[in-house]
Amino acid sequence: MPPRIRKASLSCPLSHLPLSTRPQPSSLIPKYLSQHGACSRDFSTSLQRSTGLRRDMFRWLNGPGAVFRDPAEGSTNYLSAYDREGNLNRRKRSARSDDAEAENSSVQEVPEEELIDLKPFPMNRNFISHNVLSEELREEIYSRVVTLGRSVRVVSAELGIDMNRVGAVVRLKTIEKEWQKEGKTLAKPYARAVMEMVPKTPYNPNNPIPHESINDLPVHSATMQQIFEPTSESRRFTREDAAKVFHPKLLPADKRIPHPELIELERERLESVPREERINRQRERLAKEAQLATWRKEKKEEYERKHTKVIAPKAGRWEFRFTDVSVDAAGKDGRGPDGVGWRYGMPHEDRKRGQVKIPTSVPA
Amino acid sequence: MRKKFHGLKKIKIRQSWNKINLYNIARSRPLSTGHLTFFQQKWAAKAAARAYHGEQIREKQWQRMFSRRLASVVPMDHRYLARFDGSEQAAGRGSGLDPKPDERVRPVARTPYMNMTFAPIERRLDTAIFRALFASSTRQARQMVVHGFVKVNGKKMIYPGYLLNPGDMFQVDPERVMFATGAEKDKTERRESRMLKRSKNSEAGEGEEAGEAAAESATPEQQKPSEQTPKEAKKMINDLMSQAKALLSGSKDQKVSAKRKQDIRAFQRTLKRTLSQSSSSVPTGLTDSLDAQLMELTSKLSISSDAEQPQTPEGSASSEGIFTPEDKAALREAMREMRENPIDPTKPYATPWRPRPFMSAFAFIPPFLEVNQNICSAVYLRHPVARPGFAEVPTPFSYEMSQLAFNWYLRRR
Repeated sequence: MPPRIRKASLSCPLSHLPLSTRPQPSSLIPKYLSQHGACSRDFSTSLQRSTGLRRDMFRWLNGPGAVFRDPAEGSTNYLSAYDREGNLNRRKRSARSDDAEAENSSVQEVPEEELIDLKPFPMNRNFISHNVLSEELREEIYSRVVTLGRSVRVVSAELGIDMNRVGAVVRLKTIEKEWQKEGKTLAKPYARAVMEMVPKTPYNPNNPIPHESINDLPVHSATMQQIFEPTSESRRFTREDAAKVFHPKLLPADKRIPHPELIELERERLESVPREERINRQRERLAKEAQLATWRKEKKEEYERKHTKVIAPKAGRWEFRFTDVSVDAAGKDGRGPDGVGWRYGMPHEDRKRGQVKIPTSVPA
Repeated sequence: MRKKFHGLKKIKIRQSWNKINLYNIARSRPLSTGHLTFFQQKWAAKAAARAYHGEQIREKQWQRMFSRRLASVVPMDHRYLARFDGSEQAAGRGSGLDPKPDERVRPVARTPYMNMTFAPIERRLDTAIFRALFASSTRQARQMVVHGFVKVNGKKMIYPGYLLNPGDMFQVDPERVMFATGAEKDKTERRESRMLKRSKNSEAGEGEEAGEAAAESATPEQQKPSEQTPKEAKKMINDLMSQAKALLSGSKDQKVSAKRKQDIRAFQRTLKRTLSQSSSSVPTGLTDSLDAQLMELTSKLSISSDAEQPQTPEGSASSEGIFTPEDKAALREAMREMRENPIDPTKPYATPWRPRPFMSAFAFIPPFLEVNQNICSAVYLRHPVARPGFAEVPTPFSYEMSQLAFNWYLRRR
């Protein structure tokens, strides 16, 4: 049987194009669709048809969605900031409020974005794009911690930034400075582009704007239950008592937050202790805390020194460290977390299904 | 990988910056549950959620990761804690005093626990790289890890499923990040780089003699110690300034047209010519720092302007600088931009670098990461948490949909 050759493959006539059900202006048709038409390759026997869905998509991308192609100048550019036609919601809002007041402000000026303009996902009301630290603020954190030598706790309270974040900023800035010294190329154009797309917390030297809540109380699983606790009416039932009811060892919220020293400071202010006195007391407290930390560290080191035998060969770059272990630490089933080695006859679990076989931590 | 990753027929929202994905997010509507049984609702919600959250993970693997304990925090105010000891909440009949009739109490926002359903996935290295805006999709982030461009705490990590611990720092090779997040080369740029590669190859084949000869022939013209006439100097300054200004005005719109590229190249040429004009023996390559280069430039041009001064006293500026401070700032800015974001056909992305289209609609950094974009590194501060009003897990789905997905995984079937 001779090979069957379809008519379409011979000439690619335009009459084979599917009829467009939706008439549309030629400007909305993407270039490649209008250029190629029926067949993209001369030898192809199949019709390259663009579906209605694709046409709709390109109509959106070239119409209301065109605002997302390039970053907006000087502001964020999320889906929820625009209406269906691709107009800025906040511009409409400000125009409405202007009408109510007076028409003296310029039309071109784009107002500041509000919380509802910062939702990248229109369906999710509970997620917004949070502020990130601006470059100046990062530099300020680094200079306060490294140059001025203030503790992370103090800098965190001063600038309203979480302690973990302060530490991370210092760590990252240190590497950045090292790279600069080494002459490595930084990803500057990328950094500048990203920092223009995300909302930022600026650095205000006189009155620092708090970046985030620094006293986050983690919800303890013991407090997730409802307890009916009968007490006498005359009893002063405080937070401490409530914590005791949830669990005998649970500390009250005052002691579980990251910055308990701020409560003390505020209490003294309420007791109208003079300012100088307050500052002195705070300094004393911080010094005491630092002392305690060093004492703990020393004690730990001493314990390790006492319980490890170190043999350092003169020639090598290594040293051998021996610590005492107990055979019983493995427990009855031989799988205790403190156990060392392999107990005879106990099968390994490391190739079993569901066991984690990749590293679980990388020591810093 | 799935055959239809971004589809239009069946909407699946993915972790990617693709324009089809953006269109799908923009047109997706909440699940209509009226005609569905509870099982069908849960199935649909779980299917949609899993297409976004960790679609690269096998279902069983995710089921093992799933935890019904959802982390949350309550922001406390230290001023309130100092003022009250908590007994006021047990006053009256045991649940606090009633507010006065004229007093309006703001209700505390609900904590959206259900949006934290997929929080364990945010711990994964590949997802964290995507969230830190270092890759344009989680698939790409995964490839970066597998190909060995990612370090965790300074050590190479090749497992995309590595679960980050609080305090872990991950670094991605900046070149890979620029490639992943930068705009693609267009046809002409690809051709340009191909030609460059080909010419280099042929040069290497022929030997370096020809190249050296070319360099020899080029250098005398450039290094010819020419005595600048004041007119030339003035023209040069004018050229430089106008080009710098054109460069800066062009940098605002993101499109890199051929015209802008010509501008950049012209500025580069003028700068080079100006710097090598004077008879000073210091080669320009040695003055690497921007300010040093600017100083050199200024000094050279002001020397010529000094020579000019006696002839035309009314036209010249003060002797200490031929540039006004604004001019200097503009020049510095233009030079900085040229240096940091040069035209380089050897790069795999379009140069000068610009973000890929539709990136800005996806550009957010969740608060559990601290990112330094300059070195393409980030620290995983803590596990994501929910707090009144907000959940930190970035999910495109509504609370109700997340709840249905959570309910699906609660049960063992």
